[in-house]
Amino acid sequence: MSPAGSWEALSAALHAGADSIYFGVEQLNMRAKSSNNFTIDDLSKVAELCTQHNAKSYITLNTIMYDHDLQLMRSIVDAAKTNGITAVIASDHAVLMYAKKKGLEVHISTQTNITNIETIEFFSAFADVVVLSRELSLSQVSDIIREIKRRNLCGPSGELIRVEVFAHGALCMAVSGKCYLSLHTHFSSANRGACIQNCRRDYIVTDKNTGYELEIDNEYIMSAKDLCTIGFLDRIIDAGVEVLKIEGRGRSAEYVHTTTTCYRDAIRTIADGTYTQDKVDQWTKELSTVFNRGFWDGYYLGRTIGEWSSSEDSLATKRKVYLGKGLNYYEKPKIGYFQIESQSIAVGDEIIITGPTTGYVHTFVSELRVNDLVVQHASKGDCVTIPIDKIIRPSDSIYKLVENRSGNSQ
Amino acid sequence: MVRIVHFREKCIGCNACVELAPDRWKMSRKDGKSILVDADERNGIYTALVGDDELKKNLTAARTCPTNIIKVEKVQRKS
Repeated sequence: MSPAGSWEALSAALHAGADSIYFGVEQLNMRAKSSNNFTIDDLSKVAELCTQHNAKSYITLNTIMYDHDLQLMRSIVDAAKTNGITAVIASDHAVLMYAKKKGLEVHISTQTNITNIETIEFFSAFADVVVLSRELSLSQVSDIIREIKRRNLCGPSGELIRVEVFAHGALCMAVSGKCYLSLHTHFSSANRGACIQNCRRDYIVTDKNTGYELEIDNEYIMSAKDLCTIGFLDRIIDAGVEVLKIEGRGRSAEYVHTTTTCYRDAIRTIADGTYTQDKVDQWTKELSTVFNRGFWDGYYLGRTIGEWSSSEDSLATKRKVYLGKGLNYYEKPKIGYFQIESQSIAVGDEIIITGPTTGYVHTFVSELRVNDLVVQHASKGDCVTIPIDKIIRPSDSIYKLVENRSGNSQ
Repeated sequence: MVRIVHFREKCIGCNACVELAPDRWKMSRKDGKSILVDADERNGIYTALVGDDELKKNLTAARTCPTNIIKVEKVQRKS
């Protein structure tokens, strides 16, 4: 299950082979502030795109809810049902109750912090899929799944409850969103999708008695590294987990494409018995090229509690530099036509193209022409043609990938 | 006088402005976003001219808004 915080990311997830995607509309979701969310009017198009790619669509409606949110919540649930969205991801009881009444499938959000079998029994009256708390160890996950089978806990569909866990992406310093730092310092509630990520910064600690200040010198005390499970994904699948979720509705199309492709590939190799350490190393290298704060195993393997990131920014090994936009595509010779608006481009450059329909395309410049003349190099102001297999559209942006020495990529 | 401007589209409905300046703000039960009371709308941006007595509370609301979509400024009284 891949995150879709924009049309570009949605398209990238579907092209990379995600079985399902999750997204938010309006303001009642956990990325209300950081993601370019969809609107209710977009629901039919999202559902249609997912159906075309044989993928399921899940709408997040998982903030805390106030009285004034209830009408909007009901409108979103109604619209999701009417437009054929597969299910709603919810944590507030008002949402569970209303979605059940309307016959819209419910998944219990990680915001609910499910950590034991009896809580699952409670939610089985509402949901067929539960997302477990991100702080459980793999053996706890495995015990819960075994117990679901032993107790024959079924959801409203009559099928056994299915378990979903987070496989990749950012973790919270607090138990899955139960954090009030952002609300406390900036009145910007994490539980309304407006976390300002205080935990990702560095701090000075003052001794109140003496006034001495201690700087936590680049060893951040709270900022967790990002979860990466690709090295022990076989064990997660062995535990009986049925849905692997990738975090990142605030992330770019290339992040969604790279993470989805790597995990898709890993799941395939586990199924056909060709999952090897060499492949894990290769996937980890690939995953390192897009936004990350360094990787760790999360809490699954029950090792040292808290692996803290030493950087506020991303440790991605590559960074994208904006070059320009798409102008046209000549289908027969498979040539893309671009306007270069910034920087320069040369033969051999590694480039990516993203757009709301195109999603994510990654390739190298094999040939470059300006005014139909072959050139090695073109700069700002030039219109260039580049051989590309995929269709290029005027809504596309072109970037080149360069080595990232200072971090800070998307 | 005081001019309050509300860029409503980006509101996440956190209720902070209503808590801090309840005479000037209320929550819409229709779309869950806040409403600037007695404001004129133009292209989705709402503006209200209010008395100086409302300055302090609304400045606090503006400073507190998590999405930074409230602007409050002193303006010359219209002659």
